[in-house]
Amino acid sequence: MRTPLEQECQSLMSLSEETIALYADRPEWSDVTPLAQYEDANPIAPIFYSPEYRDATDYFRGVVKTGEKSERVLKLTEHIIRLNPAHYSAWQYRYETLLAVNASLQAELELMDELAVAFLKTYQVWHHRRLLLMLTRKPAPELAFIEKSLKVDAKNYHTWSYRQWLLAFFNDDDLWDGELDFVDMMLAQDIRNNSAWHHRFFVVFESGLREGETDRGRIVRRELTYVKQNISLVANNPSAWNYLRGILDTNKLPYSRVEDFVRPYAATTPDSSTTDLVDLENPPPPRGAQLPCPAAIEFLADIHEKEGGKEQILQATELWRSLADEHDTIRKKYWEYRIREALRVMKD
Amino acid sequence: MPSSSSSRESQLLVPLHVSYIKALGEKKDDLAYHLTTHLRLNAIYWGLTALCIMGQKDALDRDEMIEFVMSCWDDEAGTFGAHPDHDAHLLSTLSAIQILVTHDALDRVDIPRVVKFILSLHQASGVFAGDAFGEIDTRFTYCAVSALSLLGQLHLLDGEPKERTINYIVRCRNFDGGFGSRIGAESHAGQVFVCVAALAILDRLDEVDVQTLGWWLCERQLPNGGLNGRPEKLEDVCYSFWVLSALAILDKIPWIDAEKLTAFILAAQDTESGGIADRPDNMVDVFHTLFGVAGAPLALVRMCLISNDDILGLSLLGYPGLVDLDPVYCMPAAIIEGKGLKKQWKALERRIA
Repeated sequence: MRTPLEQECQSLMSLSEETIALYADRPEWSDVTPLAQYEDANPIAPIFYSPEYRDATDYFRGVVKTGEKSERVLKLTEHIIRLNPAHYSAWQYRYETLLAVNASLQAELELMDELAVAFLKTYQVWHHRRLLLMLTRKPAPELAFIEKSLKVDAKNYHTWSYRQWLLAFFNDDDLWDGELDFVDMMLAQDIRNNSAWHHRFFVVFESGLREGETDRGRIVRRELTYVKQNISLVANNPSAWNYLRGILDTNKLPYSRVEDFVRPYAATTPDSSTTDLVDLENPPPPRGAQLPCPAAIEFLADIHEKEGGKEQILQATELWRSLADEHDTIRKKYWEYRIREALRVMKD
Repeated sequence: MPSSSSSRESQLLVPLHVSYIKALGEKKDDLAYHLTTHLRLNAIYWGLTALCIMGQKDALDRDEMIEFVMSCWDDEAGTFGAHPDHDAHLLSTLSAIQILVTHDALDRVDIPRVVKFILSLHQASGVFAGDAFGEIDTRFTYCAVSALSLLGQLHLLDGEPKERTINYIVRCRNFDGGFGSRIGAESHAGQVFVCVAALAILDRLDEVDVQTLGWWLCERQLPNGGLNGRPEKLEDVCYSFWVLSALAILDKIPWIDAEKLTAFILAAQDTESGGIADRPDNMVDVFHTLFGVAGAPLALVRMCLISNDDILGLSLLGYPGLVDLDPVYCMPAAIIEGKGLKKQWKALERRIA
């Protein structure tokens, strides 16, 4: 299967291979004086353009010079954008032209549906879309578009950031309503998708209080249950463990609140005595999970350190030592730093 | 990523990298070339800085480079585009200034006009836009703050504008201690670098949760020594610079396994030929950088065997024989120190070969 990047390459390449009549050879463009790009002989930065790209951009500079804003300028800028989606001047001029000729913004969005997926990683595609939405003010259909676009690249930074912008900018309860289900769906496809975990945090804790969400105690319990269940599906998932910490930190709750949950994950072997009991508050590690989880050991150590007192600190240092020497050796230096710091504080 | 077909190197191939950067302008016949014009000035900046770090500043002709930078001047906007006749942009503005500062040629610039352009992009929310088209991103805040500082004009932000700038960055801080490209966006190593470096320039590192962010940054290291840019993403040599610079600013490089990271970067050198467009996988790599790894703070154009920023990363790791790099401004440390702009940061001590 091709990666999105390879697809991007492919779409750019094939376009250049097609034989399209140059603007210079089209009678309907004969009234425009093309403006050649300033050619610099400097060997540090020579310029190479395909004839098609050079021709199109020469005519683009020509229309910018005269200030022409017309239907054909929309065609021309689309052509350039397809050749080089990062050409921000073409995007900007296209936007101004859309407004000037009173073009259908719906048609433009439909075109963008195609271009956004073809050029997922260019900033301009997403920025242009934001500008259009601020005019159309119809955010609801965008959610489905975003979902479709995430099918191509489930962790695309721009796509997620666009969704966050859309929700916060229009801040309509109907828009927010489906977000937790949406995150569920994304995590069902890939439970390790950090973008989806981040999005959940954004929706629940960082985007203001919405109706039905004002009972924060209930919300915190719901989120703790949610993340614990996810960890009990895939134990070594840094995004989920970070989410757990995030809930506790943001709501100023002590880590000790989840100690009973964390402990079995820090053990080397599963606790066979509890496997038949279903404890919804503390779902156990999945069968066959690689134990112990470094994240759980770290959690326990943090709990001990917070308790304070010589005994607790020493227990914490033992746990860090096991991370440094055995379970997370790549971060040995970090764990040794934690040990040194804790012992220093204890002595003071 | 390390190429499987080439032999794994354990030394930095300085002469080969220098010749690659010198050849930067000679690859006229590949598709990537015309698609990267909008990043050209930026690529020259990276190439020049990498050369400086390898102690080969003169490998590219100074006067020619300055003339090229000046040919990118957009007289209508009063600043620099990425290429002659390209529209003005904050990214190319910073690159132009960095090149001119490195070559001690700031006297060529109409500083008041450039400053006016930069300040015109400051938004009510406190973030900066990249150009008149209005795309906002914390990396543009970094570009603005760094450029103003290099021009000796940072004081123009004093008071409310400075508070507004800081406030926006702080609002981009996430529960994991990292920073995103805009309010609400996920933490990403590139965005962490630009936000931390901008706060460093603004003398407001107190806004960083050093423990949480330091941990998040060292959590980016994977068992093979490489670094990723976000949790659960693949490691890539291009993240080493961002993560390392942020760690250096927070004085936390000792938290990662420097030896394994150094080995990982060196193994990524393609000793056979390199060359960005010679092979399909390299081709993909150009696009990868061309379209910006999501949130790329300073779009990186790979023009050598490993990317130029990795040479800068090796400098921070104390690799023998390299020149010190200032991780805040991402320029040779001596130049920043000479301008009296040095902030608190700490790289690993330089090792003897």
